[in-house]
Amino acid sequence: MLKYLFAKEKDIPGGSASIFFGFSCIMWFIIGTGLGSFNAAKLAFPDFFTHYYALQFGHMRQVHVHTVIFGWIVGAFAASALYIVPALGNTKLWSEKLGVWNALLWNLGLMLGLSTLWFGMTSGREYSDFMWPIDIYIALFMVLPLFVNIFMSIVNRRTQGIYTTNWFFAGSFFMLIIVFLIGNMPEFLHLTGLNEAYMTWWFAHNVLGLLITPVAAAITYYIVPKVTGNPLYSHRVGHLHFWSIVVFYSTPAAHHLMSSPLPEWLKSFASVEGVLILVPAVAYVCNILLTMQGRWSMFVENLEIKYTITGVLLAIPLNMQGGFQQTRAINWYVHGTGWIVAHAHLALLGFSTFAEAAAVYYGMQTMLRRKLYSLSLGNFHFWMLLIGFSLYWVSMTIAGLIQGAGKIYEVPYLDIVIAEHPYMIVRWLGGTMVFLGNIVWLYNMYMTVKHGEKLEHGVLPHEVAYVR
Amino acid sequence: MSKFLPLLDGLKLNKPLHSLSNERKIKEAQHIWEHESLGGIAENNNPLPRPVVGLLILTFLTAIAWTFPLFGQRPNAAIFSDYVTLMHSSPVQQVLQDPTLTTTARDKKAMAMIVDALKDSDSPFEFQRIQHPISMNDLRIMEPKIVELQNQHVDLSEYSIIGNEVALANFEGNWKEDGTRSRVQPWWDKGYMTSVYYFFGFCFAVIITVKRLPPITWKPDHTIAH
Repeated sequence: MLKYLFAKEKDIPGGSASIFFGFSCIMWFIIGTGLGSFNAAKLAFPDFFTHYYALQFGHMRQVHVHTVIFGWIVGAFAASALYIVPALGNTKLWSEKLGVWNALLWNLGLMLGLSTLWFGMTSGREYSDFMWPIDIYIALFMVLPLFVNIFMSIVNRRTQGIYTTNWFFAGSFFMLIIVFLIGNMPEFLHLTGLNEAYMTWWFAHNVLGLLITPVAAAITYYIVPKVTGNPLYSHRVGHLHFWSIVVFYSTPAAHHLMSSPLPEWLKSFASVEGVLILVPAVAYVCNILLTMQGRWSMFVENLEIKYTITGVLLAIPLNMQGGFQQTRAINWYVHGTGWIVAHAHLALLGFSTFAEAAAVYYGMQTMLRRKLYSLSLGNFHFWMLLIGFSLYWVSMTIAGLIQGAGKIYEVPYLDIVIAEHPYMIVRWLGGTMVFLGNIVWLYNMYMTVKHGEKLEHGVLPHEVAYVR
Repeated sequence: MSKFLPLLDGLKLNKPLHSLSNERKIKEAQHIWEHESLGGIAENNNPLPRPVVGLLILTFLTAIAWTFPLFGQRPNAAIFSDYVTLMHSSPVQQVLQDPTLTTTARDKKAMAMIVDALKDSDSPFEFQRIQHPISMNDLRIMEPKIVELQNQHVDLSEYSIIGNEVALANFEGNWKEDGTRSRVQPWWDKGYMTSVYYFFGFCFAVIITVKRLPPITWKPDHTIAH
């Protein structure tokens, strides 16, 4: 891949940037979930690996969070966007060379950022823990080139219309630059106290609301009609989804700080907006599930659809939780407990990961023009991911409810820790299953490159998936 | 048409504002819809199913009901002003100094007396007192500050009770004649009302956007481009 860095644009095969991002994100996913499994082991078995300062939970947790968010989640978005955007515009990527450089700078930036985090250099702010020079690097050298490539590919499309997926890609990556630069203002301008707290959660909320969930949804808008062959159920419902994300998902940041001394009117506003996040959620889920009409057998038979629809189905509990857990009455109970950790994993490891895994499976086969090496290993990966995630989600939700009860009834902290212990072990088991499943995935993709059956021109991978 | 901002077409100053959903525009949209393939993907023109419309209306009503400001308002010092007065009354003081009872029993009995005494009073704070029960210990901690504020003749409803501390409320209401802002959180709460206006603004904008599309009775023919 590195030979394309200095090649002429016309000599770089289409899809190179996407493949570079695709393999990178799988690697980061393995590293990120491996770190997650290691961290969970520390919670399940407190005496595990206590002799290295650099491997303490306080260092490792942030490294895990940032590896999965920026390495896996956003990396997989980039891999998906760089092949889906040109495909939907019946055109080529604006610059494969920029894309290849982008992937290289992405990996280098992440290595640098994660190393500094590991060494303890951190802003100490949730989800934006990188120190400010890394934040500027991410905005200028990781996200800006990606946005330019996506935006210019859309501008230079050969269609007059723009498909729903591309609205989300263009809008979300543009907003990511804004969110990153404004969200990190407390570091640039040395804001402290309540201003810092609000800006931190404005950043964290919008990374999820204006990037991760809409882009994951955008991917499913592509995969489901493409693989099933059904038209998207409704263009106008797509409009409702997109614009309600813009309006209702960008405003409720204050609902992360319901117990803080922020102005009460701001919390009231944020809380109503927080419930109204259900508007895009309902529009989106119904649009995708209705697109599946007449093709539900593919949910069982087809690997990409299995991943995608599982992700869409997980978006239902995700948004039900998200809408209501931020209201004052429920937030009082679940705030600061494992419930929130479970919810965050439902968004990232549930909904987003399943949607992205489908896009990476599909995209890699399309770009490489090779059939998946082993469908059985693909299915094995799916079940490891689903069972592992479910164990994690259920155990952490229960642990969170125990913590909430303990907090309200003022149960001694150590008693709560003891009560949670079994759930911490289940959490570790679930996380480890996800990690092991991902190693199998990498092997499967590597073997696809090396020994995957070549696809004939004019044939799409899902059309031959079961032809052996 | 502007390449990036086609909506601005309708806002040219040398032309009167024209409808974005006139017959010609809709015919153009229908032609594009049927004659081009977006990477092999087609789109239908279906409306939201009626049960889903119902679900969305229910979502809005739930958002309004669930986050109704009264449920989330912090208690203010005025709610407990009568508690402090009654705490100083001789029957309550007698209970609090009763040597035959344990400290816990004294506190419980005294607080029960205060709550009982105020049960039938025609107070605007009745609902909020039920919402925010307090212990005698909390009242003891709050009492000096509430007495101090009573002596200063300030509006106690501008002070919040946070745990067992009394602090100036962080609600920013209208400007008062003396140049300060009202700290009393009204039942309608300005953030809450902003959300209601915001929602209707959204509905208005979506209606304008969707109005530009062909009517829902029109079904695109996907055999033309695919």
